[in-house]
Amino acid sequence: MPARRRLALLAVVVLAAAGSFALGRFGAYLVHSVAIAAIAAMGLNLLTGFAGQISFASGALIGIGAYTAGNLGNAGWGLGAILAAGVAAAVASVVIGLPALRLRGLYYAIATLAAQFVLEYLFKIVEPLTKGISGMNIAPLVLLGRPVASDQAWAAISIAILALTWLGLARLMRTNVGRAFLVVRENELVAKGMGIDVVRVKLWAFLASGFVIGVSGALVGFTTRLASPEGFGLSLSIDQVAMLIVGGQGVWAGSLLGAGFVVLIPEAIQRLGEALHVANLLSAMREMSFGLLIVLFLLFEPRGLAALLRRLARGVSRIALPHPVPDSSPVVAARTPAPGGTREKAL
Amino acid sequence: MALQVTDLTISFGGVVAVNGMSLSIEPGEIVGLIGPNGAGKTTFINCVAGAYRPSRGTVQWKGTELRGLAPHSVIRQGVARTFQNVASLHDLTVLDIVKLGAAARGRRGLAAVADLWRGEAALEAELHETVLEPLGLADIAAQPVQTLSYGLRKAVDLARAMASRPELLLLDEPVAGLTVQEGQQMAAVIREVRDRRRCAVLMVEHKMDVVMSTCDRITVMAAGARIFEGTGPAVQADPEVRRVYLGEP
Repeated sequence: MPARRRLALLAVVVLAAAGSFALGRFGAYLVHSVAIAAIAAMGLNLLTGFAGQISFASGALIGIGAYTAGNLGNAGWGLGAILAAGVAAAVASVVIGLPALRLRGLYYAIATLAAQFVLEYLFKIVEPLTKGISGMNIAPLVLLGRPVASDQAWAAISIAILALTWLGLARLMRTNVGRAFLVVRENELVAKGMGIDVVRVKLWAFLASGFVIGVSGALVGFTTRLASPEGFGLSLSIDQVAMLIVGGQGVWAGSLLGAGFVVLIPEAIQRLGEALHVANLLSAMREMSFGLLIVLFLLFEPRGLAALLRRLARGVSRIALPHPVPDSSPVVAARTPAPGGTREKAL
Repeated sequence: MALQVTDLTISFGGVVAVNGMSLSIEPGEIVGLIGPNGAGKTTFINCVAGAYRPSRGTVQWKGTELRGLAPHSVIRQGVARTFQNVASLHDLTVLDIVKLGAAARGRRGLAAVADLWRGEAALEAELHETVLEPLGLADIAAQPVQTLSYGLRKAVDLARAMASRPELLLLDEPVAGLTVQEGQQMAAVIREVRDRRRCAVLMVEHKMDVVMSTCDRITVMAAGARIFEGTGPAVQADPEVRRVYLGEP
């Protein structure tokens, strides 16, 4: 990345983090909700969008992150609790990933579903670590000797960690391990023939993705201050998959867009319902409208919001400029009839 | 002797695809493997490269037994292969693919984590000079592979194999599907690779003009076994080969 662009990016992040202190409590709450969900979505995007391994266990991995951070945070680990949450979820992710060395596609997806249910069950019964069904209270994270309790501070911290995650993952994709993810996603046989150790590459994908999802889980724990089994159920996994599909697989910005969509739309529906005095009816429709949205995206824009926005931007520039600026990959756009599996160049 | 394959046999269900095949290659030699469709040529290459596990026989490479090694381990021994049909890898550029080729013999394990901090400028310059320039791919290094013609993609596949600094190249129909002109360029590149790096080459190919002009020695396979071995003119003159392969009575 050129130095100027790097500086610009840094400025945007610092401004966004600083700006969150100017927000009201609810606004800051929305910001950190989106940012934290986006971090997990990026972890899942690495695994599914870039390395081609579908997973329905991210809800449980977020849970492992939250419980680990909760226990260690309560024991006074501070920031170390967030890192440890990442490590714990990374280990769990690799264990969940072991069947992927044998199973492919849908069969592996079912295996992750099983892992999700097993972990949910463990959250309920391993009471010394999870406090069972009643849930575990989590003390505020202590940072520089002071407890972080305000939503504004969490918004700033979440934005900073989101930026770090984005940079780190984008960097990872420019290493040989990252490039190997893409080959494994496209065709494992070709990957083997190219001399790629597919087993090793998959394990790296599970490890890195699990770490990122675990960090997100730690932030979930510290912001909600409570970790309980039903908070990390299958619906959270489905939300994550929805972010991936709605935002766009294999594009980092897609994870942020998808997270924004999936977190903010229910809030908007809620507000609308309260205004029209039909809150109960609309909240019941939340799940349904989600399912509908996913189906619509799969039908009309499998590459998600990221591709949709890119097309919009291209259209606007074509209207605004007599000689449109050439796209970075015009040949890709022109030649491929987008057979569903086609993905835009990774950011 | 660089490569010494003895009595290689593999069957799929009831079909014995390769049946007691033997073949040897000297360092720096280009050997052509020809034969009718279904003779077991590609299966033979797959066995040597580790994609299939033969049921019988040995694959000695410079004193090491390759049989039973996984494909990525075979590459680490200096034996690289190309594919008959090149895959379309959506997001990867020519340079990405070539870097992956180089990485096949690179560092592994936790050392790979260091990749996160290390720049790749030196590696890119080296690959430009040693692989991309000689194959005429330098100008398109930054292009996504899927935008390239079939011929160029085959060249990229060869570049990828060469980036792993092989001492034996297994080429599966390097010229098939290319135009006459592209085919001649490819044949010239193959000879140059051998001349410059003393790399041995085993190539499966159907285009006889390319085989004749490129290979030092030709092995003819039919029904999973070797039926003839010799120089180009000798192969063309042999009545058995003419009957089996060229379809004469």
